[in-house]
Amino acid sequence: MRNRAAKIILTVVLAVFALIYLYPLMLVIINSMKSFSEIMADVISLPKKLTFDNYVKAFQIMEYPHLFLNTLIVTVIGVTGVVLISSMAGYKLSRTKTKYSWLIFIVCIAPMMIPFHSFMIALVKIAKNLHLINSIYGLGVIYWGLGAPLALFMYHGFAKTVPKELDECAIIDGCSPFRTFFSIIFPLLTPVTVSTIVINAMWMWNDFLLPLLMLSGEQKQKTLQIAAYSFFGQYKVEWHFAMSGVMLTVIPAIIFYIALQKYIIKGMVAGAVKG
Amino acid sequence: MVRSKKLRLAFGVEFLSFTLPALIVILLFVEIPFIMSIAYSFTRWNGLDKVPKFIGLENYKELLTNDKVMMQSFVFTFIFAVLFVVAVNIVALALAVMLDSEIKGRNLFRAAFYIPNIISLIVIGYIWRFIFSKGFESLYNLTHAGIFQLSWLGDSKIAFFSVLIVSVWQAAGFYMVIYIAGLQTIPKDITEAAYIDGAGGLKRFFTVTLPLIMPSVTVCVFYSLSNAFKIFDIIFSLTFGGPGTATTSIALDIYKTAFNDFRFGYGSAKSVVLFLMILVVTLIQLSIFKSKEVEA
Repeated sequence: MRNRAAKIILTVVLAVFALIYLYPLMLVIINSMKSFSEIMADVISLPKKLTFDNYVKAFQIMEYPHLFLNTLIVTVIGVTGVVLISSMAGYKLSRTKTKYSWLIFIVCIAPMMIPFHSFMIALVKIAKNLHLINSIYGLGVIYWGLGAPLALFMYHGFAKTVPKELDECAIIDGCSPFRTFFSIIFPLLTPVTVSTIVINAMWMWNDFLLPLLMLSGEQKQKTLQIAAYSFFGQYKVEWHFAMSGVMLTVIPAIIFYIALQKYIIKGMVAGAVKG
Repeated sequence: MVRSKKLRLAFGVEFLSFTLPALIVILLFVEIPFIMSIAYSFTRWNGLDKVPKFIGLENYKELLTNDKVMMQSFVFTFIFAVLFVVAVNIVALALAVMLDSEIKGRNLFRAAFYIPNIISLIVIGYIWRFIFSKGFESLYNLTHAGIFQLSWLGDSKIAFFSVLIVSVWQAAGFYMVIYIAGLQTIPKDITEAAYIDGAGGLKRFFTVTLPLIMPSVTVCVFYSLSNAFKIFDIIFSLTFGGPGTATTSIALDIYKTAFNDFRFGYGSAKSVVLFLMILVVTLIQLSIFKSKEVEA
């Protein structure tokens, strides 16, 4: 009896706290549907009528479909590259026990100790020389180098648990090394692949500083986060457009999260604990 | 003999075709730029000159003796890091302990507290700029509570706490999830044994639960610490380091030095210092915390 009462109290406390916790986000949703004068008069009250005019306007100003596609391209290029590159290298390095492979492994995972801000200045210079700047494709490629160390580390650790006999059987049956990897080993690495996709997709979609440094050019070459930044610069006082702009930037991530919630939480935990 | 040479060659080609792509992109986009940054830190360079001018340790000298903003950003970042690590871990652990019990809708609660973590930091900053200005204005009109009338972004002392609150609010869900995963590894019979032995809730937590989830604590403190030292996005959109330079973090200072003042050599020197600081602090933290872990 005492236990049940305690549980109910705990639930109520948590519910109240959760409501307070999410109240700022609720205010954003409410105000994204209000007119400018309504926001100026009162932020807390509900909108007088349900309208998505602000969304339509923000959608146009931001050139939303275009920027959405840009961000998606960057994320897809980045994530695919990181998964491919790191799974191949992580697997091969865990299978070879020479001093070279040990050295390469150390070189590959050392960047986990280097904060991005410590090399961003020179990275901009290198990207310029390689003509990767002002291009969403170039940005996606740069993410390969930034995402690979942690992913490689995780693949390396996990590939050790895959029996070596599998490789040998496949080779004896006449598989090429690449075929062995892609049709036999890679499917067995799925847990790490899921973590890698989740961690990198959330990061690349939401990242701000690298795109800011790399995409200084015209609107056509921007990501959603950069657009949100310049959007706020322009429409600082026009809160109603700003709030619907925020919502438009956030909604894809929320949908991604709700759809894959189970994997996201598992993937994040695995990445944090192993990293 | 010839055959084995051929085999070794084939093996080498195969090995390289698997590992070289990763090695190349990591060297090209992280390690070479990092080494270049160390080299730039000994130069004066405005980004336009073809060749940076070598000036020895001048940048480091200036940084240590003659840069008030840098010193201020150091102090800000250190105090912020300490308070952030403590606050975010306490909030996350408290949430995790509450959500580890078998209550209705706990998955919904977990999702609710995790949501701020999936929104980009830059947008988080803008959301809160709106809350601190317009939102608090309306809440003051409603409640007349003095707390809503404070100048949350305009006063340099209060702005520090604004940045802190927003950062904790954004990150707590992430650490909560790691703590929940840690709590789930504790065998139920151990906590039950403590319960039967008459240990109360708090005592049970500090003497049984906490020592058993020390690995999670190590991970969370490590992550929150290194993230706190790298804080950038939230400040960029919430205060842009202001008022004045009150909330300028080291990372933001590096950004401003390099890309607003176009002092790339000097900015590189600062970035080398940031690297060394994070390295030393996290190594100390790991060695302290690792020694406190116990097994069930």
